[in-house]
Amino acid sequence: MKSLSQQFFWRLMDLIVGGIFIYAGVIKAVAPLRFAIDIDNYKMLPWAIGVRLAFYLPWLELVCGIALILRFFYRGGLFILTALTFIFIAASIIAKVRGLDITCGCFGHTSKNWSFTAHLALDFAILITLIALWVSSRAQQREL
Amino acid sequence: MNTNLLIGIVALTALAQEARSELKWEQTSVDLKPALGDKQAVAHFKYENVGNTPIHFESVHASCGCTTAQTQNEQVAPGQKGEITATFNIGGRTGTQVKTVTVRTDDPNPAHSTTVLTLKAVITPLLEIQPTLVYWQNGEEPKPKIITAKANKDAAIKKLDVVSSVPDFTAKVDAGSAPNEFKISVQPRDTTKAVYATLTIKPDSPANTGNTFAVAARVMPPAPTSGTAITPSTKATVSTVRHDLVTPAPTAASPRQ
Amino acid sequence: MKVSAIRQALLLIALAFVPAIGEAIYFRDKVSWQSPDRSSEMVNLDQAQSWGANAIWVDARPDNEFEQDHVPGAIPLNEDRWNELLPTLLAQWSLEKKIVVYCSSQSCNASREVARRLRDEAGLKEVFVLQGGWETWLKSKR
Repeated sequence: MKSLSQQFFWRLMDLIVGGIFIYAGVIKAVAPLRFAIDIDNYKMLPWAIGVRLAFYLPWLELVCGIALILRFFYRGGLFILTALTFIFIAASIIAKVRGLDITCGCFGHTSKNWSFTAHLALDFAILITLIALWVSSRAQQREL
Repeated sequence: MNTNLLIGIVALTALAQEARSELKWEQTSVDLKPALGDKQAVAHFKYENVGNTPIHFESVHASCGCTTAQTQNEQVAPGQKGEITATFNIGGRTGTQVKTVTVRTDDPNPAHSTTVLTLKAVITPLLEIQPTLVYWQNGEEPKPKIITAKANKDAAIKKLDVVSSVPDFTAKVDAGSAPNEFKISVQPRDTTKAVYATLTIKPDSPANTGNTFAVAARVMPPAPTSGTAITPSTKATVSTVRHDLVTPAPTAASPRQ
Repeated sequence: MKVSAIRQALLLIALAFVPAIGEAIYFRDKVSWQSPDRSSEMVNLDQAQSWGANAIWVDARPDNEFEQDHVPGAIPLNEDRWNELLPTLLAQWSLEKKIVVYCSSQSCNASREVARRLRDEAGLKEVFVLQGGWETWLKSKR
């Protein structure tokens, strides 16, 4: 049985990670064209697909972020966010290896001046937290 | 008497309609796939005068200077066949190129008097190089930057030779992540003074008729200060860069056929 | 009532479509859906001239037209001799410069193609196409 402080800790993680994705989602949802250009800079998808993703992904992040905070469709939300973060880290590394000059675009243009390593570190931290939340929720389910 | 007049009028009207001219085109759009190393792509647009009056070409005009179009004859008699040859000079173009030739005749029917002939050519170069410029800012860490060269799979290119026009840059070629792909790693010796180099890339391939490709590598001059005064050192840098341009770079060896 | 994680994920994915489609409808005329919007690359003559020495003028017309007359100081760069002419431009370019490409008239595609290749192949960022082309320049000289 998880102690109260443990429960509190995991709940806090939900709020923080959920909040991050809500913030990231909102920032991109209000400027879809800018996001479409950022996606295009990775040069991995044709524009026609990238622009549609630019409209859709921010809302997916937002909805999943809310799912985390409200504990509504919680594990589904975790699953999607983990997949998104993983794909995004992979794409960033590939783009960097190809020598492309990309502004991350994940946090809009507020994060434009961060270094690549700072971005990557944050993304890995998020990924690890998401995985930890997933594991923790599975453990909780088994206990019930 | 009236019936005769009526028949006469009907006959005349019928005859008048019969006197039509029409140029019929076998195709108005041609897709071409020029072979590697071709300098031109030629499309033949065949026509036939299916009318019963001669047709005269008033103008045959290509959409751009790179395409020339010729008719075999200015005048096409009824029943006569001919063709318009459109020659597209490929030059340094790559990818899907669409060029049009607008043909105007003296056909009284405005729907037929202008025809647009389309030539579509898909050109895959021997080497697709990206990017064609790598640069370092003054004072930036002189880390290597990568240029990706994708070889045309029909060219069987085994290796690339890369030579820099000045010793300030070194270039190393490695196999890329995909087949027919090469990674050229370019590195400056230092980034304290402005340098311009042309890197000549020579593919080793039986299909290669001596073609070389060039990319530019630069260490940029220090950013101009807001005072915009040209200091003597900047002047010297500018003249050094110019000097590199004036002396024939290895790219002069690339044949201009 | 246990809904599997996958089912939850699918429901969330579907849920996100609603506002996304709404937004897409709102922006439907403001976004180019098929290919990147290039209208932002156009620049008019006054703007281009206001850049003064920071502008590099690029003539995308065929060689013979360039030789007859061109914008003073312009560098020729056309697709016929792309590989030969490109190095000259790349040697003169620097980050604070803005490139202005022009060709014979608005209907001629060459300047747009040259601008596109400079962006895509050479990775240059501030590349613009002169609205009205060479004709606009000529008119302004009278």
